[in-house]
Amino acid sequence: MTRLLQSLLDGVGVGSTYALLALGISLIFGVMHLVNFAHGELITVGAYTAYFFFLHGGSWWWMPVVIIGAAVLASVATEQIAFRWVRNASPFTMLLTSFALERLSHALWQIFVSPKQRPFPKPAWVFNSLTLGSVRLEVMDLVTIGVTAITLVGTAIVFRRTLFGIAVRGAAEDFDAARLMGVKANRVISGAFAFAGLLAGIAACLIVMRTPSAEPAMGSEWLLKAVIAAVIGGLGSFSGAIIGGLALGLLETFARAYLPDVATRLDRFSTGIVFIVVALFFVLRPQGLFTVSHAERV
Amino acid sequence: MDVRVREVTTKFGRSALSSAVLLAAVFVLASAYTATGGSSRDLLVDEMLTNLMLVVGMQVFIGNTGVLSFGHMAFAQIAAYATAVVAIPVVEKTKALPDLPFGLADVHFGPAGSTAFAIAVTLVVGATIGIVICRASGLAPTMITLAALFVVDQLVKNWKELTRGAGGLSGIPQQSVLWLWGGALVALVVAHVFQEARIGRFAIATREDALAAPALGIRLFTSRYAAWVVSMGVIALAGSLRAQSLGSVNPKQFTLDSGILILVMLVVGGMRSLSGAVLGAVLITAGTELFRQLGDPQRLDIERFPDVFLGGTMLLVMLLRPDGLLGDRDFAGWLRRRMTRRSDVTTVAPVSTGAALEATDITVRFGGFVALDGAAIRVGPGEIVGLIGPNGAGKTTLFNVITGLVEQQHGWIRLGDLDLSEATPVEVARAGLARTFQNLRLFNNLTVRENVALSALVAERHRSHRPPVNIDELLEDAGLAEFAHRRAATLDYGNQRRLELARATALAPEFLLLDEPTSGMSDTESLAMVDRARAAAARIGAGVLVIDHDLGFITRISHHIVVFSEGRMLAEGSPADVRANPLVAAAYLGSHA
Repeated sequence: MTRLLQSLLDGVGVGSTYALLALGISLIFGVMHLVNFAHGELITVGAYTAYFFFLHGGSWWWMPVVIIGAAVLASVATEQIAFRWVRNASPFTMLLTSFALERLSHALWQIFVSPKQRPFPKPAWVFNSLTLGSVRLEVMDLVTIGVTAITLVGTAIVFRRTLFGIAVRGAAEDFDAARLMGVKANRVISGAFAFAGLLAGIAACLIVMRTPSAEPAMGSEWLLKAVIAAVIGGLGSFSGAIIGGLALGLLETFARAYLPDVATRLDRFSTGIVFIVVALFFVLRPQGLFTVSHAERV
Repeated sequence: MDVRVREVTTKFGRSALSSAVLLAAVFVLASAYTATGGSSRDLLVDEMLTNLMLVVGMQVFIGNTGVLSFGHMAFAQIAAYATAVVAIPVVEKTKALPDLPFGLADVHFGPAGSTAFAIAVTLVVGATIGIVICRASGLAPTMITLAALFVVDQLVKNWKELTRGAGGLSGIPQQSVLWLWGGALVALVVAHVFQEARIGRFAIATREDALAAPALGIRLFTSRYAAWVVSMGVIALAGSLRAQSLGSVNPKQFTLDSGILILVMLVVGGMRSLSGAVLGAVLITAGTELFRQLGDPQRLDIERFPDVFLGGTMLLVMLLRPDGLLGDRDFAGWLRRRMTRRSDVTTVAPVSTGAALEATDITVRFGGFVALDGAAIRVGPGEIVGLIGPNGAGKTTLFNVITGLVEQQHGWIRLGDLDLSEATPVEVARAGLARTFQNLRLFNNLTVRENVALSALVAERHRSHRPPVNIDELLEDAGLAEFAHRRAATLDYGNQRRLELARATALAPEFLLLDEPTSGMSDTESLAMVDRARAAAARIGAGVLVIDHDLGFITRISHHIVVFSEGRMLAEGSPADVRANPLVAAAYLGSHA
């Protein structure tokens, strides 16, 4: 029972970070049909920003603002510099453009900072934990879940109530129609990139609080999980991205916690099993849990 | 018989010639490079040749089908390990892999045997996974290949009895560079032959338009799957020869990153062209080496500068030349155009089979909206029937139902004795219904002649009971002869419409289904189109069902006119009858004028 609760909590903790990233990926896919493999680099940007901020005596109090600001700027910059120019190209071209940016980001951090990990101090309270009955609650887990919940509620309000949110949802359904209704493509897409940057910035804060270090390739691992989460949810579906993120987090934690019992021989395959499950899912339901249909006129 | 044999030998000869020319160019460059430096330069040539084989392997699938795959490296890895477990001498193998399963412990093959074994194993695994990949659509196949890459990576790292885990295996007998040159030649010939072969042309058609290809009778799955399997064979050859060139294998050689490196080569050169694949392999291998030498080995810059080169090159190519440096320019393609001779067989109109096209009682609902409500239409053999009606009358929906793109809730479709009610677009096309699309769906990156030749290829295979059509004659009829070797995308609108008509005609169908062939044309152009459509139908002895808004066009072309309104037939009769019918006037004036 305790292990179940613990796994559940851990799973939701990791999963909510996936969800924030997956939501950004789904959002960008919605407005321009781009699977943005450079999205994970926003985490790297956030982490290096935190590292330099500390180097120059910054405190943890201002940290979230700085990290999020950097991620938003970086996200908008990628759109202005690269994605704007391939907007009408094939999905293939856009995908490879994002790969190119990812590559460049890795290389530039390596050259201008260091290929090695750069650590910086943790905030003290991260180590604290509360004990509730037999379940140990890490403060960091609670913070993660709380921040994600608030962010998601905020996101829901933005998408339901604000003109920007409605324009983005409209554009995700049918960009041409939205454009005819007077939605400005440049503004909506820049806005979507800024918003995705904001979400990635929040995720970056949560990640560096747990493991306060910066590394050139740190974004890639997160990115891969986030893409999988977004695809599980159905690319372009916002609620799907959140559920996909949580589902992937839970799947990973439970695979790690319970698989050794089920089959000790299979234990060493536990990471592989996540991929196998995901692969099977792609096969059985390639359109994801929540389908966003794009009817084509014939 | 003679003609077919000659055709096959020509295609093979052309493929062999193209491959030899490309490889000779590479050989000259490589010799110049190795002659001017130390023996370490030979290693770069080895690397370039394995890269070239890998790029060509990826090109066969990705370049021809347009489906992006990240998983090819996984299959190169399978081939490399399969090579290792049979090529390493038994004594050393027992030390490295004491628990080797499948009775492989005592097996030892020479270089050729090991390569063949690796290709066989990879083909079995690849062909199985390929079934799933080629059935999926949209982004799903790409995602499945990505998952496959990670699953194979995990398997290799953890199945220690077979692979010795992350450390890899060494002691594979090393073969000379001649094997690599031979492998590269084989890879290029196979890839060229595939592009020349019918199934390869079909795969290219699905890349250009995944909706128009089935409408011409090309099966998406079959052609993609063929490309996949051939691609697996080439990739396996590359993986196996790489292992035998390096003498060792380990999982680090086959990561996502290494796969992306190969993908960059493909994309930089131009993925649709095999010449592009070769160019990309040479340029990127050389560029990476150049940037590696800029770095300082003491500071571990070895990896960083090549990364800047790769990222920068890929970004620049994507932004400035998204089709790659060569785009559609291809030595083999140039050779093919040079060698295409005008055929002098004239098309003969076949004796009509006497089959009529009938749709009865068709009902289609989209949610609550009733698009067709018990609609019916009949086109007699060789007859030209016009279908008119205001916007939203259900004309195009009826076309989509007949051609299998939209499923009806109720109703039957027959072509003579053939029941097409449940038929897929491919079956409908092969049965003899060829359609055009309201919003043009040409194979944009193929030349005008290739567009028409594609449906002639389908006709040759699946409609062989009809006399073959002469492609050049059709192009001349359509007024397109002078543009025969231009890309379809570069034609103006009117010519694109005429090309679509010619492409449908080349299928030698029983009926042509034309969806608004004159939309967007001027009056004079429309008139000319009337004559063209009529002439095309007469040449192949086909009936025509034509949709148009333009009452003038319809009356001029049709024997019989059917008027649709709100999903059902409002009136029918001769052109004169329909013009005089007050109901028709009301429907047109009421909702359209």
